Amino acid sequence: MLEIFDYEFMQRAFVVGIALSILSALLGSFIVLKRYSMLPDTLSHIALLGVGIGLVTGTSPLYIPILVAVVSAMAIEYLRFKKQLYSDAVLSIFLSGALAIAVILINLSNGFNASLFSYLFGSITAVSEEEVYMSVAFTFLCVILILGSYRKLLFTTLDEQSAQASGIKVFWFNLMLVTLSAVAIALSIRIVGILLIGALMVLPISTALLYKVNFAKTLLLTLLISILSVISGLFLSFYLGFPTGAIIVLVALVIFVTTLAGTLI
Amino acid sequence: MSIIRVRDLEYRTKEQLILGGIGFDIQKGDYVALIGPNGGGKTTLVKVLLGLIEPTGGSVELFGDPYRSTRHYKKIGYVPQNVTLLDQNFPLSVYETVSLGLAAQKPWFSFLGKNDQDKIERALESASIAHLREKNLSELSGGQRQRVMIARALVSDPEILILDEPSTGVDIISQHKFYQFLKSLNTNKNITIIFITHDMGVIADDVNRVLAVNQELLYSGSARDMLCCEAVSQLYGTKSHIVSHHHHHHDCSGSAC
Repeated sequence: MLEIFDYEFMQRAFVVGIALSILSALLGSFIVLKRYSMLPDTLSHIALLGVGIGLVTGTSPLYIPILVAVVSAMAIEYLRFKKQLYSDAVLSIFLSGALAIAVILINLSNGFNASLFSYLFGSITAVSEEEVYMSVAFTFLCVILILGSYRKLLFTTLDEQSAQASGIKVFWFNLMLVTLSAVAIALSIRIVGILLIGALMVLPISTALLYKVNFAKTLLLTLLISILSVISGLFLSFYLGFPTGAIIVLVALVIFVTTLAGTLI
Repeated sequence: MSIIRVRDLEYRTKEQLILGGIGFDIQKGDYVALIGPNGGGKTTLVKVLLGLIEPTGGSVELFGDPYRSTRHYKKIGYVPQNVTLLDQNFPLSVYETVSLGLAAQKPWFSFLGKNDQDKIERALESASIAHLREKNLSELSGGQRQRVMIARALVSDPEILILDEPSTGVDIISQHKFYQFLKSLNTNKNITIIFITHDMGVIADDVNRVLAVNQELLYSGSARDMLCCEAVSQLYGTKSHIVSHHHHHHDCSGSAC
């Protein structure tokens, strides 16, 4: 069974996968509790726009999606918080706008091929060494920032107005959260895929919420479910040959449905 | 000593004037009810006092300092409107919720120390919810949630407590206990309390000041004299009178504005 680790691309996939599962669990928890569950999907489609720009201009398919997603995430948060626009409307506009431009750019570059398929659904063979270093370094940064501001971020997530009245710079914490999410999503698209990364951010925390425990325990459960989903998904993807993102999300979905069924009995 | 000093306060949006010409002082230990019709600017006034929005004119001083230059966040506790409507599924225990009241003061990368834990315990005890510490918010009644939010506001040892319609969504018996609790905070801990309310009975019983606001300050003074002010009495009907929670009637003759 352990011959899976003889392959270098699988070693890379496991390192990146575990890093991304930690990222998506930490960031997804705050995003879902903020009722901002559409954000990961929107950012992943914006990352696709970055892929389109990369294909047309022949520039890095890693850095351009990160840059485009981060700038868009900041614009989304500015419009929501400062301009008081409805968040679901802002997200919907960015999602459809980014997707429309991305399709045109990919069409221009004749990019509708197998490579695009791996961006949409994820591929374990697609992870480069550069992505391994970036993912691990970014995960460390993200864990440090979130643990360092844990209570401020939690207060902001529960009740923005009270948090602001207590002196917390709510706008900057929201901006930090959406920016970190943008980078995490852009990094995740190679392994999980643009169409499925949103589910990986939403499903583990949704499962953990069914246990109705306090926040610290909910966060731990979310981490465990997310890591378990990604590791099992990578094994199944390797041995069964299914697209990685799809199988990871399917495992997370099975855990969610099983837990839900357990609460209904 | 005036701990809040408001002069010629104005707040307007592009479309309309929300508040104008507002001026009043609040002394240490005051127990103040802020009343007025819906859309009259009460919540806007509270948001200005909390520093959530900047006034478009006039001045606000907190503890003798210009409001814009110094923020006294730690000295002001805030309980928002509709706490009973907070997300039912939010996975927070009572202890975790109260600890959030210390979040703003804690520097990055610092965890709760012994001193912080003692503060949380004191806040839980003063709100009589120490026995609920491990419960999740979703398991509490409206009245219990209200106390949790007050404990969160109290944990930083504020000098002023500001509450926006605190009794909304709380049943009558819990409301009565709740106002007794607020009164005890004011009397025993000398915390200055400012709260928005529509409950005229509370005003009659407990508060020592009433501010009636409808774009402008219509009245500032005692609850008993309030309905003798024609402008206020028009807000609530010319023939209205206050019936307190203890069923005392307050009548008046002549103008007291």
